[in-house]
Amino acid sequence: MVLCMPMILLAQTKKLSGTVNDENGKPIPQVSISIKNKTVGTQTDESGRFSIEAATGATLVFSSVNYENQESVVGTSSTMTIVLKGKSSDLGDVVVVGYATQKKVNLTGSVSSISAKELENRPATNISSSLAGLASGVFVRQGSGDPRGDGASIKIRGLGTLSSTNVLILVDGIIGSMDGVNPNDVESISILKDAASASIYGAQAANGVILITTKSGVKKKPTLTYNSLFSSTNPSGLPTFINNSVKYMNLINESYINTGGVAQYTPATIQAFANAQAHPNDTTAFGIPNYAAYPNTDWAKAVINSRTLQSHNVSVSGGNENTTYLMSVGYLKNPGLIDNSGLEKYQFRFNLESKISDNITVGTKTFGSLQNLGLASTSNIFNYITQVSPMIYPFYNGRYATSSALGDPVASSQGLKAFSIGSLGSEQVTNLSSTLYAKIKLLKGLVLEPKFNYTAYFDEANTWGNPASSERWNLLTMTQTFAPTLPSALGTGNSFNKTWTYTLESVLRYNTTIAKNHELGALIGFNQYYNNSYSTGISMRGLIDPSVPAINTATTVASNPTGTASDWSFRSVFGRVNYNYKGTYLLEGNIRRDGSSRFGPNFRYGNFPSVSAGWVLTNEPFLQKLKDHNIQSIKIRSSLGQLGNTASGNYQWQATYGTVPYSFNGLTYNGVSQGQIANPDLHWETTNVADIGLDATIFKKFNLTIDWYRRFTKDILFSAPLDLTVGTASAPVGNFAQVLNSGLEFTGRWQDKIGKVNFAISANLGYNYLNNVQQYKGPMIAGWVTDASGNKTYNSNIGAVSSGGSNRILEGHMINEYFLQTVYRGTATYTNSDGTVNPNGGPRDGMIRTPADLTWVTSMKTAGYSFAPVNTVGAGQLNYGDLIYADNNGDKVYGNANDAQFMSVSTTPKYIFGFNVNASWNNFSVNMLWAGAAGFKAYWNQNFYNSVTMIVAGQQSEKIANDHYYFDATNPSNPLNNINATYPRMKSSDNIDNVASDFWFYNAAYVRLKNLQLSYNISPKILGSHLNKFINKASIFLSGENLVTISNSPAPDPEVGATATGYPTMKQYAIGLNITF
Amino acid sequence: MKKIFFPIIFVLSIFSMGCYKTILDTNPNYAVSSSTMWNTDNLTDLGMAGVYQTLRLGYSSGGSATSGLVLFDTYAMDRFAYTGQDYYNSNGNSDDGIVNGTATTSSSQFTKTWQYLYEGVSRANDAIYNIPIQSPSVVTKKAKYVAEAKFMRAYFYFRLNQVFNGIPVYLTPTPYNQLNHASKSRDSVWLVIIQDLTDAINEPNLPAKYAAGDPNYGHATKGAAYALRGMVYQYQNKYDLAIADFQSVQSSGFALYSTGNPNTDYKMLFKAANEQSPEMIFSMQNIQQAGGWGGNAGFLCGTRTSYGGNGWDWYSPSNELVDLYENKDGSKFNWDTYIPGYTTMTPAQREVYFIRDGATAAELTAASTRGADITKYLAVGNEARIAAVYSNRDPRLSQSVITPYSSYLGLSSTAGTTAANYFLRWPYRNSASPTFDLQADKTAYCLYWYRKFVAEGIEYGATGADRSSNPTDFPLIRYVDVLLRWAECLCEKSGVTQPALDLVNLVRTRAGMPSLQTANVALPTYVSSQADLRNRIRNERRIEFPNEGVNYFDEVRWGTWKALKFTQANGAANGPKQIFGTLTGPQYVYSGDQVLTWPVPSSVVQITNGVVAATPGWIY
Repeated sequence: MVLCMPMILLAQTKKLSGTVNDENGKPIPQVSISIKNKTVGTQTDESGRFSIEAATGATLVFSSVNYENQESVVGTSSTMTIVLKGKSSDLGDVVVVGYATQKKVNLTGSVSSISAKELENRPATNISSSLAGLASGVFVRQGSGDPRGDGASIKIRGLGTLSSTNVLILVDGIIGSMDGVNPNDVESISILKDAASASIYGAQAANGVILITTKSGVKKKPTLTYNSLFSSTNPSGLPTFINNSVKYMNLINESYINTGGVAQYTPATIQAFANAQAHPNDTTAFGIPNYAAYPNTDWAKAVINSRTLQSHNVSVSGGNENTTYLMSVGYLKNPGLIDNSGLEKYQFRFNLESKISDNITVGTKTFGSLQNLGLASTSNIFNYITQVSPMIYPFYNGRYATSSALGDPVASSQGLKAFSIGSLGSEQVTNLSSTLYAKIKLLKGLVLEPKFNYTAYFDEANTWGNPASSERWNLLTMTQTFAPTLPSALGTGNSFNKTWTYTLESVLRYNTTIAKNHELGALIGFNQYYNNSYSTGISMRGLIDPSVPAINTATTVASNPTGTASDWSFRSVFGRVNYNYKGTYLLEGNIRRDGSSRFGPNFRYGNFPSVSAGWVLTNEPFLQKLKDHNIQSIKIRSSLGQLGNTASGNYQWQATYGTVPYSFNGLTYNGVSQGQIANPDLHWETTNVADIGLDATIFKKFNLTIDWYRRFTKDILFSAPLDLTVGTASAPVGNFAQVLNSGLEFTGRWQDKIGKVNFAISANLGYNYLNNVQQYKGPMIAGWVTDASGNKTYNSNIGAVSSGGSNRILEGHMINEYFLQTVYRGTATYTNSDGTVNPNGGPRDGMIRTPADLTWVTSMKTAGYSFAPVNTVGAGQLNYGDLIYADNNGDKVYGNANDAQFMSVSTTPKYIFGFNVNASWNNFSVNMLWAGAAGFKAYWNQNFYNSVTMIVAGQQSEKIANDHYYFDATNPSNPLNNINATYPRMKSSDNIDNVASDFWFYNAAYVRLKNLQLSYNISPKILGSHLNKFINKASIFLSGENLVTISNSPAPDPEVGATATGYPTMKQYAIGLNITF
Repeated sequence: MKKIFFPIIFVLSIFSMGCYKTILDTNPNYAVSSSTMWNTDNLTDLGMAGVYQTLRLGYSSGGSATSGLVLFDTYAMDRFAYTGQDYYNSNGNSDDGIVNGTATTSSSQFTKTWQYLYEGVSRANDAIYNIPIQSPSVVTKKAKYVAEAKFMRAYFYFRLNQVFNGIPVYLTPTPYNQLNHASKSRDSVWLVIIQDLTDAINEPNLPAKYAAGDPNYGHATKGAAYALRGMVYQYQNKYDLAIADFQSVQSSGFALYSTGNPNTDYKMLFKAANEQSPEMIFSMQNIQQAGGWGGNAGFLCGTRTSYGGNGWDWYSPSNELVDLYENKDGSKFNWDTYIPGYTTMTPAQREVYFIRDGATAAELTAASTRGADITKYLAVGNEARIAAVYSNRDPRLSQSVITPYSSYLGLSSTAGTTAANYFLRWPYRNSASPTFDLQADKTAYCLYWYRKFVAEGIEYGATGADRSSNPTDFPLIRYVDVLLRWAECLCEKSGVTQPALDLVNLVRTRAGMPSLQTANVALPTYVSSQADLRNRIRNERRIEFPNEGVNYFDEVRWGTWKALKFTQANGAANGPKQIFGTLTGPQYVYSGDQVLTWPVPSSVVQITNGVVAATPGWIY
């Protein structure tokens, strides 16, 4: 868009200032501004501002790499706002790849790139969990909302192996942890998905590589940026335990009587609760209100609740001709959802680069963090949250309670909330990482880059028992059931663990252009990595006073000091050649040779090569017509290569004898016994990856990327299950299996403007259509055989060729495919016309609901059929309200091991998708991000929540409580009878209904609104001239995380998975402020 | 060009730093590598200790379902026995399947037993094979160790064959992928065991017995090998051979522990002070050190009034056991003697006799609602009436079991973690001072509790007593076991003879009970027939071994398990019961005779593709 209006020309220069924004209203830094036909010029600063001396009527030219040039004539006003339009294709984008950067147009591998912009204004507490939905084929799942360990698991392109699926993470080229980096420091994230892009990382790259690049300084005057965010954190899902004591006691009684036992609560006890609860605010003889003495506690709500998170970041960056720098400090306080389970994190970064001579530049990337961890034992809380009843009040007037119901067990664990305060002291985690590097120009085009890094991680805990945490009261009798711990019984302990690594690396690169059209690049490098970790722990008991907790004041050794140490290392050489003719024909080859300490001397080294090629069709003269059809660019690329995976254990090729405790004559005597069986032939796991991709730009507004991949992994490192006859030694890791994994990925992005609204819509989908174990321990053979004496028997070799339980590894099946019993389905006709029992005539949905159903069962038994796992009819055995499993192999035993079936679905999603919309209008912008996964299932049968087992001092969910089978055979008209219920009968112990079957099988698909944000750039007008002097730019935003979850899964938090006892992820409502000075 | 000289040197030096030593050679420093194992005298000692440590497999400081199977602290086997019960576990966990009728071929009871015992076999095979060829130790020590390892292997196979009745046998270290032997018959396995024990007995370097305080105390001896071989012969009904071996145990120097005080001797025998008494032939070595060095019998058999409030009382004595203790004169105990009409009342009605003196109206009403015949209640003297039932009995009763209104020196957190005398009263009120009621996990049940192996007061530590590392060695073979088996063999071979009576009387005399005799028909100790003697010997074993994990194997061996465990004396179905007879959980269910043979775990049948055959009668 060119503005060219006739103006009165005045040959007078004046000072002109303004800002340059993109179509979303975001300022663009480093836009060069020149006066047409003159040599003067300037640049915009970090916040898009500029000032220049120009004559009215002069034409200013604005140009920037990723934007279309624009001209503007200087008018009478002394300020101007320019909006630059993004280039219709991303021709100029540069992507970080292994050991280099490359123009996106020249890429021949499959790389997803995420910019800092896509991560900003998120209240997400770490980088990993904020990646969900942003890149195709990348499955990001946060398995816990515990602030002390809430990093998400990341899987790229589904499961390709039975061994480690960990993605290699490199932070500025150094192996590291994604969550060790302050999200505010990130410049870009590249995800390398195929062999062409990843094979330069060889043996560690089979599951993909994520490269994180941090921001560096730019050559301009210092700017200071401050970001601040406050967020209200809430559980995104809560378990629903029964929270009515009368209902609870009746159900307990029902469970025990059903199982052939006796009622556990007397009518008097139940009545006492009912009476007292009618008057919750009356007080007992001891002055305790009834709501506390006879409570109806909802334990999930009592323990998990809302809090406020805050984060603050300050960064300074700048530079001059020779030196650039970026310094940042960050603070995050995430109190979590449970008392004392929070995290407080301090972070800093110092990136410096300095040119010390024409040929030599040196620099450092140094960062660190200090984290203070809350000491709540959430593992105890989630263990005991199912082992407590609603009849216990959480906390009354400074007192934790135990059950006051007559006959109930009394356990200190019933004062569940006290696990939050069980430990005093501190736990501190320190991370430090420093890289020193140099770039040395040896010849024209030949650069040498040596690098050294040292990284250290320390986790130190100094904790001692809190005397108050063990005190418990019976709130009904007001008696102390557990006394505060005496100092003499208090424990105190120190634990320390440290991991340190060093990396030595040198890369020599050469780039040249021959005869103008032939661009040639080459690189060779050497890398050496060493990782060492060790830990020690001491715990003592018996303090002179709780205020004096140091180890030396304790009197007895509570347990032996613990400690361990291990190390591993890598040594590698690698190289790359790439060639590009006129930007049209692209070729690249990579190779890496890795040596690993984790393999025996004979199998130590492995080679991992790849080749790739690309063809930019739209650069061909004979295809220029495509552009007339609104196709601006098309590139076809393809790659082929090998990646590796190492053993996860450090010394698995050798057998080890570990210490085991014994004593003779009253004196300790360490024995040793074989802990692990050796496999000296252990060698590399190899993944062959093929990838074919297409990148296209259509209508100038639509970018599309499609990839097809095929990953074939052989010699998979896996521990096959051992015969129990081996004993307790752990299985040797061997190179056992082959897995084929294939899929498609789509990414599309539409960017446009309607009126004053600029918007971009992008969507991505990963479809993993094949995920098969190709070779394992041979094919499964099952069927009827006739032995020499003519007897037919059913034989299956599944135990010999397969491993696992209800998720199995077997040739021709998905990895961890579900293998479950199926519930019997009958016709409810019971008998044949001749009066004999009809094996297909049992209950329609497999549950014994009516006397006719039960009669059928006994008739079947008489006729020689049997039912597994329990073949006896009776209260504590098979009875009304129990499930029958199908006899799928026809051996007349219903539901024995040979009847289990493969379900053609596994725990790994087939579909992973993300959807992102952002739009801006004037100073407002909105951004919305959805992420989800589908095509996988969960088998979920969790005791005390999603199971019909219910015992004293154990919980049950409302779902089961309200919809389970009940039948009083002695009184068929009992109003409590519920013979059409969904769930089986309640039992105090069960072997039948909790069998791994398709009864407890759920679709685990979910989609989640990961983030929704609205931000507003405060215009200079509002700031006023006074503030404008030192504020370059300010914006405020509202941002919500995990706001909506759509799923059929019955689990409280489908992203965490099928469990009622996981730390839920957080739903957040945040408000924040960004200011640049 | 000079300019680039410096950087090239710099880079080359980095390369050479990387190469100067091979960083890829890493070795574990927390474990011994297989390449050096058995190669020093020290490692030979450690490897041998590793064989013994198999006895501790299944140890868990938290007391999980895998504890107390057939190896570690076998006391837990008593829950399947006639003399014990498991009121708590039978409600919540499923590893009581063999008495509840719900056991399957993958129950952990079977899989863990199989796995742990074969682990022992594997460690013993490793020692037997490698010590002679690898170890630099002196020849005599190597010979002794091989003999010990053979004893241990025999012990593990004995335990396996006792329950699985025929198993695969491996006598050399066998690679994990070549474990493809079919099961041998029960009788062939006995022969394998006898061979190993005979080898051990024939080894001149293996001592007959270790004196208390010997640094080697706890290692296997010839005495132990004789005892075990005698047991195997007894299983085969080879009475002469068994008797000869039992005699050799005696001549090896083993003897009953006795100070001549029958009111405390039995109790003191199971205290740490006497864990090396000459009565202990072979025992699992325990010391009070956290981290898997001690026992946990006291933890799972104690109550909330032991271990500073941390006992769990999973396992308790059965009513049948308590009723077996004779009156002091040797006559059989009968409830009706003390409380006329007791046996004809319903269990619910009988509750009244157990109620504390001065019960509140509410307590009496509650008991009445439960069915107690409240007309029999004495406001004063109710306690004395029931206490009398237990007072004139075999002195071992009060040393083994906590009976109503008897005191137990406990350690409870409610009392500020100081030792105090607690009383088993009904109904439970309060364990705090000044009431001091003994408090169980579940106070709604009136049950007997074990004293044996449960710490008294601060016995295992003043405060924060370590409930899961009890210091007392756990007896695996005790001299009384040998004496009574010896008597059994004599009885089976020749009926009522004086030598047989003498053996039983050794045990009775130590316990303070009158001797069995054939002279005076008027006395209750008169033995009338072989059947009478057989039954008396069995009862003697039942009351001698509670909480030692012996009775289950005895009852199965005698063929009495089904009749006694699953049916009450009055013919009603049995189950875990309160003292007055009310069931606390589901009735026991006898699922068929197949349950007498434990099934080969289904995973073993599957992984060997049926080479190790399925156990008949079980659903696979």
